Amino acid sequence: MKKIFILAILLLGAAPALGLTITRDTTWQGEREIREEVRVESGATLTIRPGSKIIFHSGHLEIAGRLIAEDADFRGSGWGGILLKGCDNSTIIRNCSIAGAKTGLFIGGGAPRIEGTTLQNNEVGIELKQQSTATLKDCRISGNRKVGLFIKDESSPHVSGCSISKNGKYGVYIYRSRPAGFTGNTLSENDTALMISNAGSDPRIQGNIFSKNKIAILVDRAARPLLTENFLRDNQTGVRLYRRADAAIDGNRFERNHEALSIAYSSYPRIHYNDFVGNRRAVFLEFQSSNWEKSNGSTVRESEAESRGAFGQSSGHAADAEARRRPDAELNGTIDARHNWWGEEGNRELNRIGTSGNPSFIHDGRDAPTFVDGGKEWPLDRVNFTPWQSAPLRRAKESL
Amino acid sequence: MKRIDLRRLSLLLLAFILLAGVSACNKGQESGLSGTVLFQDQPLSGTQIEIYLKEEQDRATLPFATTSSDTAGRYRIALPSGRYYLIAKKKVESGGGPTRMLMAAAPLNPLDLQGGSKELAPFNLREMGRDGALVAEADTGVKGRIVHDRKPVANAFVYVYSEKSAGLIGPSYGEAVRSASDGTFSIPLPAGKFYLAARKRGDGARSGDLAVGDLNGSWQKNPVTLNHGETTDLGDFHVSIVKEESRKERLQQGKFALTDTTLHGRMVDQDGKAVRGVYAFAYLDSRMVGKPVYISAATGADGRFELRLGDGGTYYIGARSTFGGPLEPGEWVGTYDARPNHMVAIKKGEVLDLDRIIVREVW
Repeated sequence: MKKIFILAILLLGAAPALGLTITRDTTWQGEREIREEVRVESGATLTIRPGSKIIFHSGHLEIAGRLIAEDADFRGSGWGGILLKGCDNSTIIRNCSIAGAKTGLFIGGGAPRIEGTTLQNNEVGIELKQQSTATLKDCRISGNRKVGLFIKDESSPHVSGCSISKNGKYGVYIYRSRPAGFTGNTLSENDTALMISNAGSDPRIQGNIFSKNKIAILVDRAARPLLTENFLRDNQTGVRLYRRADAAIDGNRFERNHEALSIAYSSYPRIHYNDFVGNRRAVFLEFQSSNWEKSNGSTVRESEAESRGAFGQSSGHAADAEARRRPDAELNGTIDARHNWWGEEGNRELNRIGTSGNPSFIHDGRDAPTFVDGGKEWPLDRVNFTPWQSAPLRRAKESL
Repeated sequence: MKRIDLRRLSLLLLAFILLAGVSACNKGQESGLSGTVLFQDQPLSGTQIEIYLKEEQDRATLPFATTSSDTAGRYRIALPSGRYYLIAKKKVESGGGPTRMLMAAAPLNPLDLQGGSKELAPFNLREMGRDGALVAEADTGVKGRIVHDRKPVANAFVYVYSEKSAGLIGPSYGEAVRSASDGTFSIPLPAGKFYLAARKRGDGARSGDLAVGDLNGSWQKNPVTLNHGETTDLGDFHVSIVKEESRKERLQQGKFALTDTTLHGRMVDQDGKAVRGVYAFAYLDSRMVGKPVYISAATGADGRFELRLGDGGTYYIGARSTFGGPLEPGEWVGTYDARPNHMVAIKKGEVLDLDRIIVREVW
């Protein structure tokens, strides 16, 4: 009887679907073509058996109940992707492939588990919203046209062991969110491998490898992550701090980057116990002045906040929290970069020039004393590199 | 010596002349608006009634006309034919305590007046916080649990409206809170009468067009009357799935209604390629903030849009791929830029081709 039932399911599966609401437990196996929306209602489970191939000519697969998919292939051209709406951790997508969608996998809330799954050639690989606490483990997120993994709306997923490469604009974009874990991932050959943006984005980014990206990590608009024990090598820029990005950069290894660390526009990080090895330049400062910040910072931040109407025009609204500086940030004309290892060559140079010298691997106010803004000259901050380490710290691992 | 603002003076004079003219012409049958203003359902005297020609009571201009309510909360103001926005305000000083501002826009704004006198339905003012939200009273509010198909719904938004005339849709709610993981919600509020709605959108947004499959519902026993110092427990608040038919029906109404006054064009990116999934918005206020008066359907693959307007007039046109809230990365956004202030003037019954609106992705 059971065999007959499974056979009936398989036969049904051979026909193209024209819009489908699944209200009770259903199993798919084999090849299936979808042309409209398929919705799995709350309380129902859709199980997709290994080896299944689901081809979407249009529409999407929306799960309000439960999805268990293993070794299945979801593909199409411009289809709507898989939408997991409030699915708990009994929803599992394991060793699947999702390709050709607008958003390959949308996770709205809930805590589904995505393991060993490949998301490629979508516009956006995965998007998490609604405070989702999903688990993404050992996934391959590659060749998505805009963003590989988009984490928004106070979501706090665990992301580990993923390979994130060759995505169009951003490998990972963390926007007003704080992942519960972001560790053991490899991010390579992206335009920007990891974007951490806006106040409220203060995740711990630990033990990842970033290689051959244009920008490995970009921290922007008052985000304040902790970057620790990451290995950054062969990137054009290792970490770029931009617009009040007061990150903590602790125990990372920067190796063979064109520029290891770029700091601009009123960003005041803490840079301690890192290894800087073989970079063309270790630290680069531009448009960065405590004096400017003290004089103009609050006014500029107010006007920035005001210019955020629905269409980017002046909204007349008061400044929001993101525009405000971390209260404990010191504005004393220096960037705190003590206790770092500056490499064999750097160490020799520092021993030669001493604490009052001007290291060649740091570009700061010692090299360009001022910059011009608003018709006025402002002093460029200096990097405080003293004391420095006399041997590498090796806190970041080269391989995972 | 204090400088005299000639523009303001001119506007006042214009208003005076218009009002005087109307008064002289219509002694027997005066044209204007009348009604009653309330606070907590009681008549409110001494309320300033302000008439504007634009929505959002554009603070850059003086009101077109003003009056105040009498001891019975009644007001009457003479006006020529036209379209107006009525705002009611009252500042309440309380012996050494904080000053409270009561305020409300007439629920049926804009008000079309075509000669004769028009009596508006009574409406309540509400206390405004610094951000325009409702100001809660101690131990006063409402709580409950959002339920669909007998199961609790987490992360749904519960909206509190002071008036129902807008159909409990749109951003005119006074408060919105998100339900907890067990579907429960609790909203501190002042005492008064409120209308509740609950929605859960698939993309998790607080605002925006409801899609098929989203959850939507209004409280079965609206309005909810809250007393001072009491928290009312609503129990289960049922929401249901938005179906294609109900969505279509809704799109035929209100801001989405088909009319013969139309702006059309194409949404394109900076390379001139059509952009899909973008809405056109029409505002009466040049700042283009708050609630648009008309919204198009989302563009299809060809980027074409039709923005149906209820009336001729001056509109300010924007475009965006989502509704409401601050811009988020990945959204498309743009404005109609044939004029620097994004303005279009259209006559009733006219169809205008805006050619194209260039939108860009925000990152």
